[in-house]
Amino acid sequence: MKDAIVLDNVSKRYGPKEIIHNISFKVGAGEIVGFLGPNGAGKTTTMKMIAGSTAATSGKVEVSGINMATRNYEAAKKIGYLPEQPPLYDILEVSSYLKFVAKTKGVNKKNINSELNRVIEACKLERVFNTEIYKLSKGFRQRLGLAQALLGKPEVLLLDEPTAGLDPSQIQETREVIRRFGKQHAVLLSTHILSEVTLICSRVAIINEGRLLAIDSPEGLQKASQQANRVSLIASNKQTSQLKEKLLKIKNILSVEIKKNNKDNKKISVDCYTDDTKNIESEIADIVTSKWDLFYIERKNPTLENIFLQYIKEKK
Amino acid sequence: MMTYFRSPIAYFLISVFLIGTGYFFLYNVFLTSTATMNETLKNMGILLITLTPVLTMRIFSGEYSGKTMELLSTLPLKTWQIVLGKYLGAISILFLMTLTSCINLIPIYLYGNPYTSDIISGYMGFFLLGMACIAIGQLFSALTHNQIVAALVTLPVLMAFWFIGYMQNMQSNVFMQNLLGYLSFSFHYGDFIRGLLRSEAVTYYLLVIATALILNTSYLKWRR
Repeated sequence: MKDAIVLDNVSKRYGPKEIIHNISFKVGAGEIVGFLGPNGAGKTTTMKMIAGSTAATSGKVEVSGINMATRNYEAAKKIGYLPEQPPLYDILEVSSYLKFVAKTKGVNKKNINSELNRVIEACKLERVFNTEIYKLSKGFRQRLGLAQALLGKPEVLLLDEPTAGLDPSQIQETREVIRRFGKQHAVLLSTHILSEVTLICSRVAIINEGRLLAIDSPEGLQKASQQANRVSLIASNKQTSQLKEKLLKIKNILSVEIKKNNKDNKKISVDCYTDDTKNIESEIADIVTSKWDLFYIERKNPTLENIFLQYIKEKK
Repeated sequence: MMTYFRSPIAYFLISVFLIGTGYFFLYNVFLTSTATMNETLKNMGILLITLTPVLTMRIFSGEYSGKTMELLSTLPLKTWQIVLGKYLGAISILFLMTLTSCINLIPIYLYGNPYTSDIISGYMGFFLLGMACIAIGQLFSALTHNQIVAALVTLPVLMAFWFIGYMQNMQSNVFMQNLLGYLSFSFHYGDFIRGLLRSEAVTYYLLVIATALILNTSYLKWRR
């Protein structure tokens, strides 16, 4: 089956500054691929290149086999794009706005009403159908942005932070919409929220500083996340095997690594990897101080940077 | 076009234009005691030059600031379609302004014997002038994200096109004199008001329109 989205050594430069460096990946039909990275990583720029809003400086971007550099007009018919900020005309009503987008996307006049009803129902916008857009809350604006992306039944859906500003129930509903759409179409979902990709994506592309670090399954990412979730401490260098044994007995401690402290031979550095998100540090501190001197203890949260570093470390 | 009428802009422009035109009409008719539209049309031209920046400032600047340019650039629309669509939307406002100003013709025809050919020619010139001004204003709107900047740049440019012909007297070089005269909006418009339908003038306005729209399209493509 032809890949719905193909990026082949794609780079983007603004003047002398290279924002995206040789990114390559594919998204097939029926796949929901997460595009994960911290703020400023290059996710939005990459999404814009795929959507056709901006052109790649070098490399090839294809959507449904159509080269975006030469035939982006044709490819646009196959793309539904939700940018980071939903592109809404505040003075129009929801119905007028969606009709405008539907007509421009080439939806047949006879089918416009049924198409509007489809996306309105999917995005739960019935209540605000005749409301001016400037009156909508952030949540409704986001859902309206998603609705316009779904119009015309595109083959490819590009969603840049689709759940931003939504409350938990709306997030759940949006994820369900994406999951349903993704069964037969290609979805590229950009986010900086780990849980989002692990819940709905079949694969995850990790980007940082304009470079694609890895493409992996959510389970691989989960493992890296767990490894990055740890408590680090410095204790006195004695009976290290006993210390390790006691720490491993603590619930939710996955593994313990003990290393000599570089600065002081009388001390050891201990990393306790955990999948616990609550106050396991106090339990660890109690164990350590029962027989050893505790000089330092710190919780390292699974920031994306830690995960990336961990990910790179794992891959090496 | 919908966005113009959903906001106060269209109503403001048409109202101000109508009030201004009405004032000029009354002033000119009572001052000259002649039932003609010549002076009124001349004043309408200057009024149009000053109001066009307000009409055109948000054409593309508004799209940039409202983050809707991304929608337009990712819909299955060619760049020239976007440019032309925006242009025609603004022209529709110009058309309404022109149409509503025709109310001044009623008393002229009721109480006078105007030269209809002069009036038709004058209005044609007015509409062509408006089309050229809008094309220029739209181009500057595409060049900046700030609507005020777009308006502030468009106004002096249009004024320059209007008044450039008056610099003829400062030139001794015949070629420069002719060039400055040819580039002047007011000189060509003056011919239309006098009832002269010159192909040179029509060609000039069409060239200005085409150049501005082509530059507009090229810039948007380059920007992408």
